[in-house]
Amino acid sequence: MHEFSISNEIVRNVLDTAKKNNGKKVLSVQLEIGELALLNVEQVTFWIHELFKGTVAEGAKVKVKTIKARIRCESCGYKGGMDLDQKDPFRHFIPYACPKCSSFQIKVEKGRECTLRRIQAVR
Amino acid sequence: MKIIKPKGPEVFDIELEKDLLAKNRSLAKKNRKRFDRSNILTIDIMGSIGSGKTSLIKAILRRLGMGQKVAVIAGDLTTTIDAERIEAEGARVIQVNTGKECHLDANLIRRAIDTMKLDDVKLLFIENVGNLICPGEFPLGAHKRLVVTSVTEGPYTIVKHPYIFREADVIVLNKTDLAKPMKVNIAQLERDAQQVNPGATFVKTNAVKGIGVQRVIDALGLKT
Repeated sequence: MHEFSISNEIVRNVLDTAKKNNGKKVLSVQLEIGELALLNVEQVTFWIHELFKGTVAEGAKVKVKTIKARIRCESCGYKGGMDLDQKDPFRHFIPYACPKCSSFQIKVEKGRECTLRRIQAVR
Repeated sequence: MKIIKPKGPEVFDIELEKDLLAKNRSLAKKNRKRFDRSNILTIDIMGSIGSGKTSLIKAILRRLGMGQKVAVIAGDLTTTIDAERIEAEGARVIQVNTGKECHLDANLIRRAIDTMKLDDVKLLFIENVGNLICPGEFPLGAHKRLVVTSVTEGPYTIVKHPYIFREADVIVLNKTDLAKPMKVNIAQLERDAQQVNPGATFVKTNAVKGIGVQRVIDALGLKT
């Protein structure tokens, strides 16, 4: 549900940055979204395209790079990734447990980000 | 030397490091510092729509009897119904309307505490918007987070929304008096809570009748 507000925030940042750098047209934006962030990538890109309409970023490409999760298990000391089905759009809803010992006492070190990484524009 | 410049528009890249969720997290940290400086214990009350967040806050306030030393930030889309219900218990209340937004964020809380008189407030409750998804991703700076769910939501709420329950210090299962007619197995919900978040305290309540409310107060470390 908060895909809209996050997208809105991304679009605001893109347009602000373009303006500050005298960008006349935005060609593409690159995002990095963690696989454990509560964000549906399809919805985010849909809203960004919608919100770009009528701005200097209309028609810009939206590229999303998925950031793999990295966890630390407080029970067995496992450090590393998680076995998530990349095809499952709701994988962030899976109750995540340590892939080694199944403990739920884990700390997420990576995989919850939503970062605006790069903007390509024309001056 | 002759320099050949490209004709037409110049394409350029701008590298950024803008984590949009991190912005909320850093604002939440600032809120926390403010609460600490003023010695205000802050509790974020999250939970589904109609799970009994307001009823639980009312019951806690009634038991604490701290009057205006307690403040409540009531989050809702557009109405002031909950704020009015809480005001009747004698606490200071401020309404934050999110409009279309499905959760409170740290910035809205910052604005709310800017406008509030918090001089002798010792305890602050933040009632989040009824939602089991988004508030989990948006910490507000509260010291403790409590999630309310109720048996009328059926038997699968906790396993279906592990994310928010993982964020909780206290998990409250409300309306336990209705478990039988709802054919909901309370022990199973307790096991689900234990599995998803073994560190959280699980409390069963009937907030309207005040049953279990003292245990919630104890779990939050509040003094009556």
